[in-house]
Amino acid sequence: MRQRSLIAITAALAAGALTLTACGSRDEGGSGDSSGGGTTVVIGVDAPLTGDLSALGLGIKNSVDLAAKTANKDKYVEGVTFKVEALDDQAQPSSGQQNASTFVSKDEVLGVVGPLNSSVGESMQKVLDDAKLVQVSPANTGPGLTQGADWQTKKVRPYKAYFRTATTDAIQGPFAAQYVYNDAKKKKVFVIDDKKTYGAGLAATFTDEFKKLGGKIVGTEHIDPDTKDFSTVATKVKNSGADVVYYGGEYPQAGPLGKQIKAAGAKIPLVGGDGIYDPTFIQLAGKDSTGDLATSVGAPVEDLPSAKEFVAKYKEAGYKEAYGAYGGYSYDSAWAIIEAVKKVVEDNDGKLPDDARAKVTETMQNVSFDGVTGKVSFDEFGDTTNKQLTVYSVEGGEWKPVKSGTYTG
Amino acid sequence: MSGVGPVEPEGSTLARDAGRSSPPVPGSARGRLAESLARHRRAVLAGAAATALLVGGGCLYAARERAPQPSQLPPSQRVRITYEKAELPPPSASTSDFSFSVLLTTKSGPPVTVAGISQPYDAISLSSTPRTPFPAGTGPARRIAITMHVLDCSQVPGNAGLPFLDVTLRNTDAMENHSFILGERYAQDVSRALRSICAHPAR
Repeated sequence: MRQRSLIAITAALAAGALTLTACGSRDEGGSGDSSGGGTTVVIGVDAPLTGDLSALGLGIKNSVDLAAKTANKDKYVEGVTFKVEALDDQAQPSSGQQNASTFVSKDEVLGVVGPLNSSVGESMQKVLDDAKLVQVSPANTGPGLTQGADWQTKKVRPYKAYFRTATTDAIQGPFAAQYVYNDAKKKKVFVIDDKKTYGAGLAATFTDEFKKLGGKIVGTEHIDPDTKDFSTVATKVKNSGADVVYYGGEYPQAGPLGKQIKAAGAKIPLVGGDGIYDPTFIQLAGKDSTGDLATSVGAPVEDLPSAKEFVAKYKEAGYKEAYGAYGGYSYDSAWAIIEAVKKVVEDNDGKLPDDARAKVTETMQNVSFDGVTGKVSFDEFGDTTNKQLTVYSVEGGEWKPVKSGTYTG
Repeated sequence: MSGVGPVEPEGSTLARDAGRSSPPVPGSARGRLAESLARHRRAVLAGAAATALLVGGGCLYAARERAPQPSQLPPSQRVRITYEKAELPPPSASTSDFSFSVLLTTKSGPPVTVAGISQPYDAISLSSTPRTPFPAGTGPARRIAITMHVLDCSQVPGNAGLPFLDVTLRNTDAMENHSFILGERYAQDVSRALRSICAHPAR
């Protein structure tokens, strides 16, 4: 009797010990870079790490790093340790293209997260696609990158190796137009853009929808993003009688532009896209930015328990820079690469095949998991199937969400 | 995020060890262990079953903690509304109304109520069947019929590319307004209906 009890108790204690080891370690804190041993897989990051947009670029880099550290700590892919190699593109297409070539030349790189800018994405796609090296952008919103140059009439996917976790300006521009016209009740807009792929494209999709709704375009202008004196444009806006300004471009220009327009006497809101959705915009635009609006990709962080967990882990990891507008998307982009590598390894008896890059690219098409930003998976164009957008307003010196939408078409 | 490790028990079970093919030498440590295990087979098997249950249950518990449960999601992240089809008025009909149906699906969790459905154009009013408020319900997709009534043809958008449905969702914790952008087919059908109605306005 005693011996039987002893055996049963021993079995129970063994079960407790096995429970602790078999399930993988939980994240108890700290972001150790524990080695999984075996093979090293490098995830490349291309983003503006210096220059005007570095606030966003460093958030992208750090978030990818967090994903790699998490995968290593959890030993998520048996026998594989993930490393991150980040290259600075300074938001320049030529630098992005060079970085793409660098990544291609390094055999250990099996996937690239980035870039931030659509114009840089355009310069990188072919280089990576030719090498069958998968690319997942957390931030490119130019529709043509996945749907082809004639996307408005006929969608044709240009590159099978290119994917993105952010939705496109084909939805973002019209979403903003509907909000500005119907919710904010603004009927006369002055449209400005920075002539770049993203800014000009977004301004165009906004304008198109705003006109269809019955709104009036009372003026248009382009600015040179290298200048900071927008006094001439500000005067034109004042004289146009516009009740709102729409800006297609990024926060380093949008902030001063908004400030100068208001200083010229046009006390009207400035509205932009995800390119201006950064705390730096509010600092640059000053106290008169209250009521300015931005759309951005995704649901607000407060709405998603998975995003709250990401925010907590990011803080715990101690990165100096904020994760920014694309942190969650960057984490998910990196995790998509990690998931694809895992599948390829599992399908090849626990090791990487010789044609690992091609296999990872192929596998990416069917990746599906619950990520920081919601469900992560891709449609036939490489676009995310999770198309959510939010309008934010500057209130009390911060961006506050005012409306969210989900594209279910 | 989900990032759970493999859910597989490690190590061999005692029952498997007891069934080894080469017989233990009588009187040896291994022989004494084998005899003990054979005598207490029932306890050994019960212990092995407990081990498997604890390991599996423990791993499932760990997995559950990592992925957000549907009940933790706000209503807007649990409810999905997709466009089904329109009932367009005949071209020559003199009417101010057009109808279409949407499908509503809700992930499992605490009850969600659809407290209101509206659309953003001042010149159009909207009603639904069932009328709001109604429970969103989980399970198979639920068909909701929407009727739009045109109030003023001079104010309706001719060809909007991205019309929304604005939906108010409520659960025990929150009330949320969320827009569902139903896509190109919806946009085209709405435009066609408005053009038809406004070409032959009801008297």
